[in-house]
Amino acid sequence: MSNTVMTDTQALAVEEIVAGYGGVPVLDGVSIAAKAGTITAVLGANGAGKTTLLRTISGFVRPRHGRVLLGGTNLTRRHPEDIARAGVAHVPEGQGVITELTVEENLRLGALARRDRAGRADALNLAYRRFTVLSERRRRAAGTLSGGERQILVIARALMASPRVLLLDEPSLGLAPRMVAQVMDLIRQLRDDAGLTVLLVEQNARSALSIADHGLVLNLGKVVADASAAELAADVSLRRHYLGF
Amino acid sequence: MQLFLEFTFSGIAFGMVYAAIALSLVLIWRGTRILNFSQGGMAMFTSYIALIVINHTGNYWVGFVVALACGLVLGAVVERLFVRPVENKPPLNAVIVTIGVLVVLEGLAGIIYGGQFRSFPPAFSLSGLKVGSTNLGVSRNDVFIAVAVLVVSLLLALMFRYTTVGLRLRATAFNSTVARLLGVRIGRVLTLGWALAGLIGALAGVLVTPSTFLFPNSMDQIFVFGFTAAVIGGLDSPVGAIVGGLILGLGLSYVGGYLGGDLIALGSLAALALVLMIRPSGLFSTTSVRRV
Repeated sequence: MSNTVMTDTQALAVEEIVAGYGGVPVLDGVSIAAKAGTITAVLGANGAGKTTLLRTISGFVRPRHGRVLLGGTNLTRRHPEDIARAGVAHVPEGQGVITELTVEENLRLGALARRDRAGRADALNLAYRRFTVLSERRRRAAGTLSGGERQILVIARALMASPRVLLLDEPSLGLAPRMVAQVMDLIRQLRDDAGLTVLLVEQNARSALSIADHGLVLNLGKVVADASAAELAADVSLRRHYLGF
Repeated sequence: MQLFLEFTFSGIAFGMVYAAIALSLVLIWRGTRILNFSQGGMAMFTSYIALIVINHTGNYWVGFVVALACGLVLGAVVERLFVRPVENKPPLNAVIVTIGVLVVLEGLAGIIYGGQFRSFPPAFSLSGLKVGSTNLGVSRNDVFIAVAVLVVSLLLALMFRYTTVGLRLRATAFNSTVARLLGVRIGRVLTLGWALAGLIGALAGVLVTPSTFLFPNSMDQIFVFGFTAAVIGGLDSPVGAIVGGLILGLGLSYVGGYLGGDLIALGSLAALALVLMIRPSGLFSTTSVRRV
């Protein structure tokens, strides 16, 4: 993986990122090129740097080296709130909903990053049509939702801003197998119907590769594999060493 | 009975002032987890500005509005200049900074206006209202104090609940990381929170100063009672701040009235100890619930 060449179809490019929290870099020269309208799975064990990668893209971690490009725009070293407004929606792992706010307030909050104010109401209506479970619970505190419902809420909230790129951090974490299948199905629909570009970080490699177009495997901050999802899923040695299935 | 009414009404009036200070502390605490020890000092300073404006214009209401506006600006300025650099640093840093702001404001007030006690005009008459020939023990000004704090609190509550600015403020208070992920510019939101707190503190200042005289330390004791009220209410609950203020105001008024004024400070301590023993997180705190 040397320098990535930008093309029109690349929605998100990460180039030679070196980043971390202290002395030792968590990410050591990571590059990704996510094509528009595709799902790119980012796989690897705990501590491989997957979450740090997403946090670097969304601006919470400042890279020591390298660039993050959205379309042709350089996002490197911009503030998280500006990166969100530029069209990158980051759904963090675990506690992404604001439990004290109602379901509807969570959704409305997601729409505040939109440039077009007029689109806010439309986005809310669309979210309720797409996710009827949220419509039924719109006045309830988000903290009363089940784990699966919360995961749907955070994804729906991320979509309120009409993002160009969706970053998902372990959306299957802590969900029952049936819910995992539903969430994966939802992510696939978002790509197929809305043409969304998705960067999907998962420990559940099998589920992620079942819907992804492309995949990368991170190990100790380096990309050790970068290929189509089908190729990764077929690579027995890679699966045994890094993916655990 | 007559006395009891008097103590009750006066307790409510002072309680609403403590409530206002408590509310300003709660606003800042919820947003930044910082205790603003300079809140009383800021209110003292804006009261001096109000007094000057009132003396120059001869109009109380011009001074009143100017004080609130200055509170708004002062809150924003203090946050931007002094508090911003220590946000996300160890909590003690912010404590020292806000105490430093307090010392500077009190020192400046002493240098500019001198240390002598000045009387500050009330908005309305301080003499007791009467029904027939019975004195109710409540003055027009007491009523004004209660109404003013209630109206401002209500406006704030409406803003928090029904506007997008309010939604941004609440989201930042509950989970600033998620708020940033959703594009909320939390720097501006925090400044706004401090500005609103400055406004409410300034309101408390002009409301209480007719009863305390104005001098560089005039808000110190009021601040301590407001802080106590905020802790009683739970420190992160606006409703708790108001209820805490009223409980403390009434309690201290009865203690001062029936047992003697010397015991007021002790009464405040007793109220605090009692509440913290029964409910360590305060009466209205949701923190313990949230951590489950």
